[in-house]
Amino acid sequence: MLRVCALSLRYPNGKLALIDFALEVEPGELVVVLGGNGSGKSTLLRCITRTLKPSAGEVWLGATNLCTLEGEKLRRARLELAMVWQQASLIRRSSVLSNVASGALGRYSTFRTVCRGLPAAELDTARHHLADVGLAALAEQRAGTLSGGQAQRVAIARALAQHPRVLLADEPVASLDPEASEEIMRLLQRLARSEQLAVLCVLHQIELAYTYADRVVGIRDGRIAFNLPRSEVSRDAVRRLYISEAA
Amino acid sequence: MSAEVAQARAAGPGGARGWSDAVRLALRFVILLLAIGVAVQTFIVVEARPQDLITGVHGMADLIWRAIPPDFSKLSAAAWPTLQTIDIALFGTFVGIILALPLALLAAANMTPSRLAYYAARAVIGFTRAVPDLVWALLFVTAVGLGPFPGGLALGVHSVGMLGRLFAETIEQMDMAPIQALQLTGARRIQVFSHGIIPGILPALLGISLYRLDENIRSSLVLGFVGAGGIGFQLLTAMNLFQYQEVSLLLIIIFVIVLGAERVSAALRERLS
Repeated sequence: MLRVCALSLRYPNGKLALIDFALEVEPGELVVVLGGNGSGKSTLLRCITRTLKPSAGEVWLGATNLCTLEGEKLRRARLELAMVWQQASLIRRSSVLSNVASGALGRYSTFRTVCRGLPAAELDTARHHLADVGLAALAEQRAGTLSGGQAQRVAIARALAQHPRVLLADEPVASLDPEASEEIMRLLQRLARSEQLAVLCVLHQIELAYTYADRVVGIRDGRIAFNLPRSEVSRDAVRRLYISEAA
Repeated sequence: MSAEVAQARAAGPGGARGWSDAVRLALRFVILLLAIGVAVQTFIVVEARPQDLITGVHGMADLIWRAIPPDFSKLSAAAWPTLQTIDIALFGTFVGIILALPLALLAAANMTPSRLAYYAARAVIGFTRAVPDLVWALLFVTAVGLGPFPGGLALGVHSVGMLGRLFAETIEQMDMAPIQALQLTGARRIQVFSHGIIPGILPALLGISLYRLDENIRSSLVLGFVGAGGIGFQLLTAMNLFQYQEVSLLLIIIFVIVLGAERVSAALRERLS
C-alpha cells in the first residue's frame, strides 16, 4: 500500500535529514517509527505527504509515485493520504461535525462546497465517523471546547472522512495524558484493522510502540536502524536510538 | 558596611557615578526645554489668539441664540437625507468589505500565492488608505456628479485601504496549523478559505467591519460638504441660507445618528467577542 524506496532529503544548508530510507506499510498494519529528536521522523512524514520534496527516492501510494506529481495531480493523490498531527489542528470556532466533514472537501468541487456546502450524505458519513471514534454525542459542540484527547479523536475522524488508504500520525499522543494516549493508540490499531488502513505512526513513547505496533521502525541520524516485528525488537536496540542522539 | 555603600563612598562626589548623574540631569533639562519649545511653536504656527475668543464669544452666543429652538417642522424633510447618510456609510462599508477580503488574502504574508501579488496588494491597500475619503469624494463627484453615489464610492474605496490592512493583519496572526491540516486533506485554496480561514477569523472580521461602519457613518456626514449627498449637504445648505434653527435640528439628528451607531457597533462587537 505505502512503499518508500531509497528516500533521501538534503536541506539547502547541505545537511542530510534522510538517507536511503525504505519501508513498506501494508493495509491493516500499524507501523510505529521510533527515534530521537532530529533523527528524521517528522521529515520522513513530510516527504511522504510531499510537503517537503525529497532529493532522491520514491514514495509509492498503491501504483502512484507521489514524487513525480505536482499541482492538481498531487492534490488528488493526497486525498488517499490522511494525516493526524501532534496538535489536533481543528477549526476551533466550527462545530465538531463541521470539522470532521471538512476532511471530505477535497472530493467535491469548489463551487459545490462554497455555494451549497457538503451534501447531506457526507454529513451523515461524518456523524458515522464521529460515532467510530466514540464522540457522536458531541457533533454540534464547538471544537474549541473539547479536551486534548477528544480533539485528537475528532482529528482522526476528520482523517477518516477523507476515505484514505494510508493514515500518517506525527506524535499524535505527544500532548495527551497516559490514559488518553492509550485510547488514541487503541483507536488507531482498531481502525487499521477494521478499515484496512495502512497506519504509519511516529511516536516517542516506547511502551506504546511495544503494546500497539505490528512493526517497529527505528530511525537514527536519518537512516533506518531496524525494521522488525514488534516481538523481535529488543530494548537494547531501542535504547541505542536515543543514546546515539545524546552522544 | 554593605558593598553598595562602600562602592558609593569609593566613587566619591567627583567619581564616575557623579558624572553620569549630572549628564542624566542635564539631558532631562534639555528634553523639558525641547517639549516647551514644541508647545510654544504650535501657538505661533496656528496663530493662536485667546483674546479673540473672549471678545468674539458674544458672536457665538448670538448664533446659538438664533438656532434656538430647533425647527422641528423640518424633521420630515430631514428624514430622507438622514437615511441617505446612513446608507452611504452602509454602501461604502459593504463595497469595502467585498473588495478588501480578496486583497487581504493576497496581502497576508502567510497566504499570498506570490511575492508579486503580495506587494501589488499592499500597494493598492496603502494607496487607497493614504488618499483621504474627502479627496476620493471630490474625484467621484467629478466622475459621476453630485449626490449620495459618489459619497458611497468614496467611502468604499477608502475603506478598502483601512479594512484590507486590518483583515490582512488578522489573517497573518491566525493559527496556521488548522489551515495546513485542511490543505493536506486535499482541499483546494478557495475551500480552505471558505471552510478554514473564514470560520476561524469571522468574529474578528465582523468586529473590524462594524468598527469601520461606525467610522464611515461619521465620515458620510462630512462628505455632504463636498456635494456627496446626505445630511451633511443639507447642513451646508442650511448654514449658507442662515437657517440656524434648521441647523440646530440637523445637529441634533447627527448627534443621535453618531451616538446610536457607536452604541450599536460597540454592543455587537461585545457580543461577538
